[in-house]
Amino acid sequence: ESVLSRIRSFEYSQKNAVLVPAAALGVGGMLLYWLRSGRKIKTIDMGDGWWGSGERPLKAKEDESIRPFKIETSDKEIEDLHWRLDHFRFTPHVEGAAFHYGFNSSYLRKVVAYWRNQFDWRKQVEVLNKYPHFHTTIEGIDIHFIHVKPSYVPHGRAVQPLLMVHGWPGSFYEFYKIIPLLTEPARHGLNEGDVVFEVICPSIPGYGFSEAPHQKGFDSIATARIFHKLMNRLGFKEYYLQGGDWGSRITTNMAQMLPQSVKGLHLNVVFIGKQGLGRLICIMLGAYAPWLVGLSREDARRFYPFMQKNVYDVLRESGYLHIQGTKPDTAGCGLNDSPVGLAAYILEKFSTWTDKSFLYKDDGGLESKFSLDELLTNVMIYWVTSSIVSSMRYYKENFSKDPDLSAHNRYSVYVPTGIAAFPQEILHMPRVWAKDVYRNIISYSYMPRGGHFAAFEEPKLLAQDIMQFVRKVEQL
Amino acid sequence: CSSLAGIMLLEVFLVLGTLLIYFLFSKKKEETLPFKDGWWGKGQKPVTQEDTSVRPFKVETTEEELSDLFRRLDQARFTEPLENSCFHYGTNSVHLRKVVSYWKNQFNWKKQVEVLNKYPQFKTKIQGIDIHFVHVKPPRLPEGQAAKPLLMVHGWPGSFYEFYKIIPLLTDPASHGLGDEHIFEVICPSIPGYGFSEAPHKKGFNSVSAASVFYELMLRLGFNEFYTQGGDWGWLICTNLAQIAPNHVKGLHLNMASVSKLGLTHLLSILLGRYFPGLFGFQDEDVRRMFPFLKKGLYRILSESGYAHIQATKPDTVGCGLNDSPVGLAAYILEKFSSWTDMEFQNLEDGGLERKFSLDDLLTNVMIYWVSGCIVSSMCFYKENLQKGIGTQKHEKLTVQVPTGIASFPNEILHTPQAWAKKKYTNIVSFHFMPRGGHFAAFEEPELLAKDILQFVGKVEKEQLWKKK
Repeated sequence: ESVLSRIRSFEYSQKNAVLVPAAALGVGGMLLYWLRSGRKIKTIDMGDGWWGSGERPLKAKEDESIRPFKIETSDKEIEDLHWRLDHFRFTPHVEGAAFHYGFNSSYLRKVVAYWRNQFDWRKQVEVLNKYPHFHTTIEGIDIHFIHVKPSYVPHGRAVQPLLMVHGWPGSFYEFYKIIPLLTEPARHGLNEGDVVFEVICPSIPGYGFSEAPHQKGFDSIATARIFHKLMNRLGFKEYYLQGGDWGSRITTNMAQMLPQSVKGLHLNVVFIGKQGLGRLICIMLGAYAPWLVGLSREDARRFYPFMQKNVYDVLRESGYLHIQGTKPDTAGCGLNDSPVGLAAYILEKFSTWTDKSFLYKDDGGLESKFSLDELLTNVMIYWVTSSIVSSMRYYKENFSKDPDLSAHNRYSVYVPTGIAAFPQEILHMPRVWAKDVYRNIISYSYMPRGGHFAAFEEPKLLAQDIMQFVRKVEQL
Repeated sequence: CSSLAGIMLLEVFLVLGTLLIYFLFSKKKEETLPFKDGWWGKGQKPVTQEDTSVRPFKVETTEEELSDLFRRLDQARFTEPLENSCFHYGTNSVHLRKVVSYWKNQFNWKKQVEVLNKYPQFKTKIQGIDIHFVHVKPPRLPEGQAAKPLLMVHGWPGSFYEFYKIIPLLTDPASHGLGDEHIFEVICPSIPGYGFSEAPHKKGFNSVSAASVFYELMLRLGFNEFYTQGGDWGWLICTNLAQIAPNHVKGLHLNMASVSKLGLTHLLSILLGRYFPGLFGFQDEDVRRMFPFLKKGLYRILSESGYAHIQATKPDTVGCGLNDSPVGLAAYILEKFSSWTDMEFQNLEDGGLERKFSLDDLLTNVMIYWVSGCIVSSMCFYKENLQKGIGTQKHEKLTVQVPTGIASFPNEILHTPQAWAKKKYTNIVSFHFMPRGGHFAAFEEPELLAKDILQFVGKVEKEQLWKKK
């Protein structure tokens, strides 16, 4: 406007008085359009959904109450479990199998013995209930979440809301060790503690204590939308997001959907689908001259040899993904009926995805990073809620629409992003390639140790990275 | 002049020499597959001689076995299917509940055990493990005629039981209106790790190992020359057997013939075969079954091979729960009897299961996996065969010279045209498009399959083709 008025103030002949403003308007208009379209961020359409049984009720307004919830168990539940553990039918493995054929059945026997005789589910239920749980109905289904506020907030400090999303075969329980580090950092010796969080950990619909969708088509976009609605219902307008595994995809979708609500996005796993010929050439060149294609030495160390780490290893580890992405009801049926089968299926991931070398161990190295109590509590969440089949359907719903997870690559993520790259993660994503989608990477850290289940395995490392990231964002 | 002649002679010799070398080298593909000796028992191989006796065997059951099964069926935990999902997400649990109810209340396992025992069964120790097999001799033989030995090998998730309907058509064809020119004595073994055959205790037991074991079995039973028939893993094992012992296999009949070595010609024929079928040797029926390729080839492979992917990588994990939950086992196995019989059955709420099979037959097959506890070892076979990838093993590069007959069923998961099959099976004597039927040919269309086997054997015998190698 100032430009136009300045032009108008000049003295010209009548003709110019018409032409100049017209030209100025034209140029100005084009300039404005160019500026606006360049800055206009494409966001994923929020849409809407209904996941309850039958038809969506037309008139009735959805019940938006937030209901406190406590996990319970019963003698009947425990006795039923014990019968199944006692009558488990064991299959011997070939000699020298270790964990190369999957979960070693000799070690499984030991796990089952512990589960039957030492594991105390009632005690674990109390552990689970130490944080406040709630239910609320969104889009026709009950969404479960825990909401932990700091018990003590130093004077003048703001409390940052943080939504943390789990993945498969994990649950909200994965965050139990990291929550105190985030809500009460000072008490755990974590830096001056100038960043304090209140943490919300929901269960993805179909997982744990969240109701499973009754309709087809429930994917990460629907989940992202529901979690935005949840945060809104809790009174938050802006918040931080953290996620790994499916949580990474869901929180990314959330940032792509409503960037104005996302103060920052922190990920411990980055998925970006197929990229194309250019990427392939970079991969080939990078093996010989990583610096040429923007790869750091650590990137090269983690990423190469390419075929071994990205093709063979992935093929060897992705059978579950393939069957769950095509026949979830078949794959999960027996697992919902055999707790030992369920444990073998889930715990195999806690072995191999924590450290690839654990394949060579007869006990899968499980207890070197986790306690049996923790591992079995996570398995019990799937068992008591009968959610294994619905958790597997999530794969089919997402992959059948988007087989190589690249549909949302064109929606760039402009919110401040922090990436914690753990060394034993199945696939390594170098910063230079993450930038294709995440345009605003504030921090990218090569973590010294840890695998896929970062919050569960290395809560302190992850908490420190989240806090340094949030500190950076707050200073922006 | 003489020097010119000399040069010309040299050139002729060079050309002849090259041709000779080329000929010798090209014959490399006709080399036989070596017999794979091994020892699959527990621990160390003992120094003593192996017990080679052939012991009669009967399937048995107990009250304890039955009450344990019923308890598990009673306390089965089902998950509601998504609305309108039919069999697209796998076995539909609403229909599964009905199957389980039949299983508990109407299916009579004691009666089925008697059905299983109607054919004589045996066990014998080969390479350290007990091999189970059915051996049925013809009830009557016309004067001067000898029974032809026929080895029939099952696959996954099948068993020796799949052959129970076709056996009488082959051992007593006259009583079933099929003419008595060729009468068979049938041997149906269980692949080690399946059914009542002991599972190998050592790593590395693949299709060549199975073929070697079955070869030893046939020799032990006194058969020097025999026919073989197979589908699914049976296709591969019988093919390997024909590659190991071509002088003993009179004829090889297959109801499934895959090719694992795909080259440029295959790629071209996929891209252009629909438009220029003649160029690639495709017949009209080939085109009808193979195209559109994305839907009938690529997409089908991706959507149906999840089980093979996980079984080839983590069999101990995926089989664990199935050996503990009979309902889970049934869901897993019956899903294949639905989609591999007709892909369209996925659109039905009951998966079309009882359109081609009776629940008694289907559940008897499942019970064989359940009572023998063999689901995990049956899956390990996938890992032993596929873990190094497809198309990488030696036997996949070798051809088959034994007279071969292929019965190509329309609802087989993937169609292999004769043009592709003949690159591997160099001596195809008969190739027929069957009018109906899917993957479990012997189980579903025993009469069609029996007729095709008979006409194939007829051709081989008439022209004494096995002697012409």
